[in-house]
Amino acid sequence: MIKEGIGLGTMFYGTGYGNGFPDVSKAEAVLRADGKVAVHTGATEVGQGAKTAMTQIACEVLGLKVNDIILISEDTSNMPDSGTAAASRQTYNTGNAVKKTCEDLREKIKEEAKLKLNLNTDVGLKLKDGYVYVETLPEKSIALKDLAKDKSLKIKGSFTAQTTEMDPETGQGAPYWPYTFGACAVKVSVDTLTGEVNVLKAVFTQDVGRAINPSLVEGQMDGGFSMALGYALLEDINVDNGKIKNDSFTNYLIPTSLDMIDIDNILIEDPENTAPYGAKGVGEPVMIPVTPAILNAIYDAVKVRITEIPVTPSRVLKELNKSKK
Amino acid sequence: MKDIKINVNGKTHKLNIKEDERLVDTLRNRLGLTGVKEGCSEGECGACTVIMDGETVTSCTVLTFQAKGKEIITIEGINGGNKIHPIQQAFLDEGAVQCGFCTPGMILSAKVLLDKNPEPTREEARKAISGNLCRCTGYNKIVDAIIKASKYLKREGN
Ligand code: FES
Ligand code: FES
Repeated sequence: MIKEGIGLGTMFYGTGYGNGFPDVSKAEAVLRADGKVAVHTGATEVGQGAKTAMTQIACEVLGLKVNDIILISEDTSNMPDSGTAAASRQTYNTGNAVKKTCEDLREKIKEEAKLKLNLNTDVGLKLKDGYVYVETLPEKSIALKDLAKDKSLKIKGSFTAQTTEMDPETGQGAPYWPYTFGACAVKVSVDTLTGEVNVLKAVFTQDVGRAINPSLVEGQMDGGFSMALGYALLEDINVDNGKIKNDSFTNYLIPTSLDMIDIDNILIEDPENTAPYGAKGVGEPVMIPVTPAILNAIYDAVKVRITEIPVTPSRVLKELNKSKK
Repeated sequence: MKDIKINVNGKTHKLNIKEDERLVDTLRNRLGLTGVKEGCSEGECGACTVIMDGETVTSCTVLTFQAKGKEIITIEGINGGNKIHPIQQAFLDEGAVQCGFCTPGMILSAKVLLDKNPEPTREEARKAISGNLCRCTGYNKIVDAIIKASKYLKREGN
């Protein structure tokens, strides 16, 4: 018999290294003679979109187009350290470093413009599309490339996240900052004859603070959901006597396109005030609530609590038989 | 060793290959076509997918002599090698690429689907890429990209 059930999972997750561990990201921004800005920062791109997000942040601060930002983030001889692309920290931590550094460069550009344009002050100066101009009198303007003609302008900056160590005795404290929140609801079917579980429908919400790039955030959510689906139902490395038995894709099964379903992703934007434009890390949080949601849905469908993953058909049948006795 | 002729991306190559040489090695090591990725080496992941006479094959499980006289297309030759192909454009526009390791195989599987079925449903798109594993995207934006590519191709009239 096919039985259906609905389950919910919720989570909160701390961005960054946490627990008092020094969590520092650095950046350098250079206005070059061609009027483009080079941003040097060690945000490693592994497909999550770090380069896109860092470029967008620099564009936003400096009023430039994407092609006018040269991001140098892979040549380790030519960029400052920005920590690992881990702990869901790059958008928040390195994003903050890039934003701060570009803001300082923007102020330096305004100062230079004030001198070159013979102004009383740099108040009311704006940067847009490669020009600095007086907002109330836009004719008073100078191109960035003319400002940097004789000497390039260069700024270094860094951001250190606020994290404190937990009390080792009580486990109390505030080890991470900031936290992200998420919830996932799924509908599953359980075949009580074969033990097969299928996920039929999913609604997935994620608090991202601010989505610097909504499409990339959705990509992280789809990917996290798929990994958690594999974690819940398929993936078993099967360690026997210290040896991994399922050591190939023939027996270590990850979801295929046919195991995945279309997900209703909902981005919740509640800007975090210490974050770059409010954006928080999203890489790992998106995997967390999905597996519990699936297990809760299985319980709702067949009233059996499964406490071991992956929930393979044989495990389902075993638990169903136990509950009959 | 063995002399054979194979046609790759529209060009005929005369090669002197080992009898048990795998197509993935010929393409990557002899012809420098490193867009052909090797993931699992056992026909499970689809990263090494190429098109052989209009059908997808996993080039890690094909021996090069089996490709004798056949026409092979790799990601490098998908649009004559110069311009970006509409399917590639759709992948970019939909955000269907994360780490990119599965992408060449995905795009070639999508091409074979769209060559045969210019207006696939989402379900048909899912089936067509079910032999290509992706660890990053959860597949949904890849499915979106295939649907979008079918529209781009229709607009172009090919
Ligand atoms: S490398 Fe050929 S299928 Fe995985
Ligand atoms: S994009 Fe990374 S495996 Fe598909």
